[in-house]
Amino acid sequence: MAFGALLVFLFLGLALFYPLGRILILGAGEGLARALANPYYWERYLWSLEYGLLSALFTLFLALPLAFAFRRRFPLREAFLALATLPFVLPTPVVALGFLALLGPRGLLGVDLYGTKALLFLAAVFYNLGLALRILLPVALSLEWPLQAARVLGASPLRAFLRVGLPLLLPAMGSAGVLVFIYAFSAFGVPLLLGGPRYATLEVEVYTLLAYRLAFPEASALMLLEILTLALAVVLYLRLRPYPLPAGGLLPAPSWAYTLGLGGFFLLLFAPLGVLFLHVDPGALASAWASKDFTPLSLALGNTLRFTLLALLLALPLGVAYAAAARRSPLMDLLGLFPLMVSPVAVGLGYLLAYPHLRGSLLLLLAAYALLAYPLLARALLPALRSLSPSLLEAARVLGATPLRAFFRVELPLVFPALQSGLALALAAILGEFGATLVLWRPEWTTLTLAIYERLGRPGEAPFREALAMAGLLALLSGLVFYLLDRGRGRVG
Amino acid sequence: MLRFWSLLVLLAFGFAQEITVLTHSSFSLDKGLIAQFERETGLKLRFLKGGDAGETLNRAILTKGAPIADVIYGFDNTFLSRALEADILLPYRSPEIRNLKATLLLDPTFRALPVDYGWVSLNYHRAYFKDRPLPKIPADLARPEYARLLVVQNPATSSPGLAFLMATVARFGEDGYLDFWARLRDGGVRVAKGWSEAYYTHFTLYKGDRPLVVSYTTSPAAEVYYSEGKYQEPPTGNLFPELAFFQVEFVGVLKGTKNLEGARKVVDWFLSKPVQENIPTEMWMYPARRDAKLPEVFRFAPEPVGSVRLDPKAMAENRERWIEEWTKVVLQGQSPEAVRRGRR
Repeated sequence: MAFGALLVFLFLGLALFYPLGRILILGAGEGLARALANPYYWERYLWSLEYGLLSALFTLFLALPLAFAFRRRFPLREAFLALATLPFVLPTPVVALGFLALLGPRGLLGVDLYGTKALLFLAAVFYNLGLALRILLPVALSLEWPLQAARVLGASPLRAFLRVGLPLLLPAMGSAGVLVFIYAFSAFGVPLLLGGPRYATLEVEVYTLLAYRLAFPEASALMLLEILTLALAVVLYLRLRPYPLPAGGLLPAPSWAYTLGLGGFFLLLFAPLGVLFLHVDPGALASAWASKDFTPLSLALGNTLRFTLLALLLALPLGVAYAAAARRSPLMDLLGLFPLMVSPVAVGLGYLLAYPHLRGSLLLLLAAYALLAYPLLARALLPALRSLSPSLLEAARVLGATPLRAFFRVELPLVFPALQSGLALALAAILGEFGATLVLWRPEWTTLTLAIYERLGRPGEAPFREALAMAGLLALLSGLVFYLLDRGRGRVG
Repeated sequence: MLRFWSLLVLLAFGFAQEITVLTHSSFSLDKGLIAQFERETGLKLRFLKGGDAGETLNRAILTKGAPIADVIYGFDNTFLSRALEADILLPYRSPEIRNLKATLLLDPTFRALPVDYGWVSLNYHRAYFKDRPLPKIPADLARPEYARLLVVQNPATSSPGLAFLMATVARFGEDGYLDFWARLRDGGVRVAKGWSEAYYTHFTLYKGDRPLVVSYTTSPAAEVYYSEGKYQEPPTGNLFPELAFFQVEFVGVLKGTKNLEGARKVVDWFLSKPVQENIPTEMWMYPARRDAKLPEVFRFAPEPVGSVRLDPKAMAENRERWIEEWTKVVLQGQSPEAVRRGRR
């Protein structure tokens, strides 16, 4: 396994730490003083913090009752659970377009929330609700016995919840909240497409500084601020360990009415996506296919599929090697989490700085994809690996297998469902990647997400319809991949 | 079948070499002209659209090690210094240079050759102002009754936006331009990301709510040209030649091209008479050639008298600071006084 750890180290060094170091050196130089002296950038920072914190709060506020609702057995429960996680793997331009179709200037509801905080928070909740639910649900399920014990001892239901349930839930709420914070604080696509210049997050500001003004020092300084904040959040996340509670079962089933109620809730939650599909016009898809004015859909789709496949070839061995190494080493565990702290835009920026001679080479893009995808794969694999009994491995070893052989022949087959879930997450993440692609992009590499973004930059009916149709296609693609591989089994976190 | 074999022969002998031209998103030329060039030279042209003019240039700079194209077209005089300093262009004394207007030859090293020029200018919607008074002097724009009617582009993300910002610097001076913008801000000016968003989303001509927009002096003529007979007279007009900003667009051979010969042919082609005479009705700029004839519709696009220019050196030295100061005042709401104090 030492070889696996070495592989991960080498990759992290080349694909993360060295480029990041270049950013830090540049950012700590002249850019830092200039950026820190400018109140405008502090305003961007404060807004990013506000966006992260309030998004986490709103998401928890909805996810907690939802987790309790899912303690019961009711018809279609598994389907709803799978549905709740789906937004997490949807590419940001798709979600942004869905919200625009519902609540934008040309929206179905006739209410124009474009460029308002409300729309941004709605999108954040849409994205992260499923993630928070997945983290809270196992704890909510195992609360049954402790709550019953409190009730038997004479506590009222409210008191039992407040004094026993809530304290037990807190670590899970904390880790869900921190994760949502991390994702919202470093959000790129949603604020770029829905926020307008007023609600640009740090991440959007970094991109603007780089793409339009080539202001590397300022961009690096802002990146430094962002990385420090995210690092604090990740440390907090790692410290929040859930209480070991016995796994709980499902409570008896209410009726179909319960399903209907929850169905109504999900219908509302998914309204933006529904409207997106309502607006998909096959004619627009056809005209996008061989478009002369924009990147043709044929090229974009081909690129997306090709890059996803190639990046997966890198991410798969990395993810497996990392999970195997992190299983027993807390240091590796922490190290491997680093990519989660660094935003995709920062990764792209770092590559441009660190490997100037490789600028415009596909290798950089694929490395960025693999870097952003492998932790997702590994995070899904890790809990399954950790729950394997060590005696299985020992038996294999006693019977003469080498550690490598034992890992591939005994352990990996046993955790195959978890591997599939991780693969689904990684695939979906690459399919919809936006920030790093936008920084490292070459015109002939335009992917589906970029082709959508390109059309959104041109107001007018025809490009907007093409963008909608392509977003529908991309949503279908990500959803299908996720459904086929995961089917709602996977745990994220 | 014959075509297939001739293609195969061409490929085998390496005749059908591809030349890639990186352009801004507004690039457009007659398809027949392009096909004719390809026939005559045996070169295949590919056009890559890199976004806004500034964004496109930055793409070329960021991929300097492995250039994404052989030729770049469309960066303007406000960005000329950046292109030259980044050292991404090869010098080329095209034989066509002698046919170009001498005033446009802004790069003495002949790395950036002028292709066309024009003016960024305020447009107003005639129908809206039929019974309402137009602003009389540029300073009137800052009055609340007009600022609320105006949409401009963010100079950080748009080249007409940057040109208009520079026009205000030229018109009101280093001391006054921030005050002008602060009053526009207080009056309710709207800032769009780029030209197309401002023009097609916020301008009243296209069902927006702003009858004043930063666009080009040729935009009224373009409206007539594209209206297919609907307009005999332009539905829009130009305001304030003294706020019109002179823009020159350049072409250049990118360093690292694999086909220097072919790239130079493309540059010559951009400067040739047929292409130059096609530019006005395709990209709505004036041809850089002295002998190129203007189309009839350009009678609606007279050259603005008394337009402003800035010294290229001053633009190179101050561009970033102006954008920063503008951002502070307009987007962030700081007082011009505080921003000026920060300069020292």
